[in-house]
Amino acid sequence: MLALSSANPTQAPVTRFSAETCCLSINQFHLAYAGKTALRDLTLDVPRHRVTAFIGPSGCGKSTLLRAINRLHDLNESVTHHGQIQLEGQDIHASQMNVTELRRRVGMVFQTPNPFPMSIYENVAFGLRLQGRMPKRKRDDIIEWALTSAALWDEVKDRLHRSAWQLSGGQQQRLVIARTLAVQPDVLLLDEPASALDPISTLKIEELIRNLKSQLTLVLVTHNMQQAARVSDYTAFLQQGELVEYGPTDQVFTNPRLQRTENYITGRIT
Amino acid sequence: MTPPRLPFSRQPLRLIHDRIATGLITAGGVGVLLAILAIGVFLIWETLPLLAFGDEFSLSTLSPLAWGTLKAALAAMLFATPIALGAAMYSALFMSTRLRSRVKPILELMEAIPGVVVGFIAGLLLAPWVERHLASTLLVIVWLPLSAALAGGLWYLANARLRQWLPLSWAGVWLIPWLAIMVTLALWLAPLMEQAWFGGDLRRLLDQQYGLDYATRNALIVGIAMGFAVIPSIYSLAEDALADVPASLMEGAQALGASRWQALWKVALPTAGPGVFSAVMIGAGRAVGETMIVLMASGNTALFSASPFEGLRSLSASIAIELPEASPGGLTYHLLIFAALSLFIFTFLVNTLAEVVRQRLRRRYQRLGGKL
Amino acid sequence: MRWSFRPSRISAMGSLLWPWLCAASVALSLLMLATLLTLLATRGLGHFWPAALEEATLHSGETVIGQPVRETPLPNTAGIERLYFTGNRDIDGASWRWVALDDIDTVAVPDDLIRLERSPWGDFIGRLEAVESEGQRFEDDAAWAFVARALTLPDSQRPNAQLQLTAANGHTITQPLSGVTLFQAPNAMSWGQKVVVWSERIWQFLSEGPRAANTGGGVWPAIFGTVLMVILMSVIVTPLGVLAAIYLNEIAHQNRLTRLVRIGVRNLAGVPSIVYGVFGLGVFVYGIGGSIDSWFFEDALPSPTFGTGGLLWASLTLALLTLPVVIVATEEGLARIPDALREGAVALGATRLEMLTRVVLPMATPAMLTGVILAVARAAGEVAPLMLVGVAKLAPQMPVDGEFPYLHLERKFMHLGYHLFDTAFHGEDVQAAIPLVFATALLLVLIVLVLNLTAIFLRHYLRRQRGNEC
Repeated sequence: MLALSSANPTQAPVTRFSAETCCLSINQFHLAYAGKTALRDLTLDVPRHRVTAFIGPSGCGKSTLLRAINRLHDLNESVTHHGQIQLEGQDIHASQMNVTELRRRVGMVFQTPNPFPMSIYENVAFGLRLQGRMPKRKRDDIIEWALTSAALWDEVKDRLHRSAWQLSGGQQQRLVIARTLAVQPDVLLLDEPASALDPISTLKIEELIRNLKSQLTLVLVTHNMQQAARVSDYTAFLQQGELVEYGPTDQVFTNPRLQRTENYITGRIT
Repeated sequence: MTPPRLPFSRQPLRLIHDRIATGLITAGGVGVLLAILAIGVFLIWETLPLLAFGDEFSLSTLSPLAWGTLKAALAAMLFATPIALGAAMYSALFMSTRLRSRVKPILELMEAIPGVVVGFIAGLLLAPWVERHLASTLLVIVWLPLSAALAGGLWYLANARLRQWLPLSWAGVWLIPWLAIMVTLALWLAPLMEQAWFGGDLRRLLDQQYGLDYATRNALIVGIAMGFAVIPSIYSLAEDALADVPASLMEGAQALGASRWQALWKVALPTAGPGVFSAVMIGAGRAVGETMIVLMASGNTALFSASPFEGLRSLSASIAIELPEASPGGLTYHLLIFAALSLFIFTFLVNTLAEVVRQRLRRRYQRLGGKL
Repeated sequence: MRWSFRPSRISAMGSLLWPWLCAASVALSLLMLATLLTLLATRGLGHFWPAALEEATLHSGETVIGQPVRETPLPNTAGIERLYFTGNRDIDGASWRWVALDDIDTVAVPDDLIRLERSPWGDFIGRLEAVESEGQRFEDDAAWAFVARALTLPDSQRPNAQLQLTAANGHTITQPLSGVTLFQAPNAMSWGQKVVVWSERIWQFLSEGPRAANTGGGVWPAIFGTVLMVILMSVIVTPLGVLAAIYLNEIAHQNRLTRLVRIGVRNLAGVPSIVYGVFGLGVFVYGIGGSIDSWFFEDALPSPTFGTGGLLWASLTLALLTLPVVIVATEEGLARIPDALREGAVALGATRLEMLTRVVLPMATPAMLTGVILAVARAAGEVAPLMLVGVAKLAPQMPVDGEFPYLHLERKFMHLGYHLFDTAFHGEDVQAAIPLVFATALLLVLIVLVLNLTAIFLRHYLRRQRGNEC
């Protein structure tokens, strides 16, 4: 259940969850690119089987935070960080934590769809093949399940072996979601997944997000506040690398605690 | 629908593979790069023993060769630079784009012709022919640019219909038959001119009046042949630099009333200047290092003369001829390696300078908001 | 106040005419290229065309039989002389004869003139009087039919025969059939027959070894040697170059050092090839080769086995020479792959090795191939370094043969480019060798051009593929 604690009177109280409902726990996480701070002492919890949205102006650090959760920053030498991120109680930076296994459990969908130059089948099978050999029948089943979960199966079931690059933008994004689902992650990170798509594809993606809630924990970064309001259960508002406000979406949008939040939501500042 | 279960993951093996592979690639990559470094190290190492020889030798044995190398490179650059730069300017700024996409690869293909072949034709065909027709050759060399200007002049005087048929943007192609005709004309008239001006035999005149010897294979031949081989290098890089000048600059100049040529001369060339300069430098580097053409077309006579009609001997040709015979550890051996070292340093410096200049140019274009 | 501007006449004219000079530069370059290629094609291919044989009767009564080659003005007086290739080096002492046109009385092109290619004296030009074989004697048409038929049989099945031949001015000789390789009556051939003979001679050129001190025969050993060396070189340079490019682009930290290394690698592409030859000679041949000799081949010393130029050292040297080409081409291919694809693979849990092998390298394959093709094109044409590390005028043995270990890496080999150089400059009868040199040059240029065109098409295919990216 919700436990409120106010650490800093000028900031809105931070929402924390108990161990049963909390999936991701971020504690005093601080990250800098080549000395320039990008995330400042962030503390927040992401509840399981819910959609949590990160909103905020450009450059506020929402994508950076997302990429920290699956340790994509490891690829960048100039990044330094301290603080803790826990996935289901395990510190993701601990030496026993296997990074590739972490990334299997925490899937990511990027802003621009990036399917591999392979067939649709092979795209979805990519993650599966990394895990080891399995009978073809089983693999086919998993692929069909993943494409169905991503609401793409009906559209591509007849052309699984055609190149993925022939699909439309919205279809490609759903394909990326499918290939992420195929390895059965616990968490799905979505970095502005629909910003490069047309309105109809966007709606499809949003519906997909709602449907996936029952199986996964989703974290959605978006600059589209209406989308955040439509789709998410909890919303975190970040500004200049700091967590400004965090709470149930209804509350943040209709009755924000801080003036800063209200200014952003009503469009008075960018 | 419930997700099907995943099989047992081969996690530990994957990480081990990754570590081994990264180690191997790093070892291989570093090894290869070190091997490349080893060339310079070897050359310096094997040159050091020269210091031990002390008074026994002097570098002056190499000086006619160095002079020969420079002379050959200079001759080649004199021949190649105007043609290559002119071609680059025309190709980047005047030629029709459709034509350019066909002509540019063809000219760049010139670079692929092996030096042996060019050297063979130069040494065995061109050299004897020029020897017999020296006056014709010189006449053709002078006549070519004049005939080009003539073509231009006639074109301006021609009627509009002809000008439409044969536009300047396609002149690169339809001037080919014109030049061929002009060259034939010059060769046909040359004996008459030789008679009228030089009393029938230019070579005898040169010999008697100026004391100039004529060797069959000489700097002139090397200049033409090596120039031919170097043109595509200079052309390719200079053309890239000129074509990348942002169109907005050229259009701005022309909007102020400048003609195409003036825009090129006053705007494009200064902007692309560094790129053009680096192209010429890289061409010079090639000219200095070319071996087979000089071997076959220069006569391989180590002379210190400035005459274009005398032979020369270059450092690279000497290395090719003498090193296999030199006994390792002897004076000749180390001297020749020193020669190789000087070639290496020269071309390395020239190429580095050219590359640095090119990087600067790329950054300048980015600031100007051009391509790249 | 208003100013009126009148540009000076001269600069205006200059502005008008300079573009024409530039256009002419392009035209001139294209013209030179076309002339070079046409020259190679006509002189090279033309050599194989069965040329007409003439019989010239001079005022003095002497006859000259041969193939007219060219005409030049007489050196010191007025008039023109014609060069005939007369063959018959065993009879006349020389194969060539200059005849002043003024000395010629009549010229005939009789049908019965024949041209024989034989070893060891090269070509014979004259008439066939009779053939004697196993007690029988054939004359005229029967003789011709006999010889023509005998030459279609393989060597072992040919009958023993002696040919009675008559040269110009009545000289007769007897030539055994066994030494004859070609028999032609070019004046009597129809156009179609000439085409057939032409193609046969081209095939011979490509498939046979040199004969008669490189004035006849073909360049097969040189082709074989070149191909073998190039294959060996590719086997060495491809993995090493790709490895280095992968290391530079994907693994090494991108900092000042890697930028310097990149510049260095590109510079090395411009270093003269002879310098690589020097390195190869010093380090591979004398250094490593000498050590191998003293460790494993001591009994063969002082005759060097690996301590002298050979196939292995030549391949290694050229691999080093073309390494920058492969590295640069592969790096370009790797750089073109968007990072989003790399991130996508990593986000799915792939290790770096898996990301490279399953996503990046397959996409970079066309670029790697382009690099290798360009490397091969360069190696096929380079001669200078080979002169130092392993090429031979006439290799006594092929580097690949039936005796163990089948591939002899220490042997010297023949190379097309070097063969060209050697024949043109160190041959005895350069005049006779020149047509073959043209043919060799044409072959070399064709190979190199085809390889480069393949690389260019690959690049275009690459660019079009990239254009389909989302």
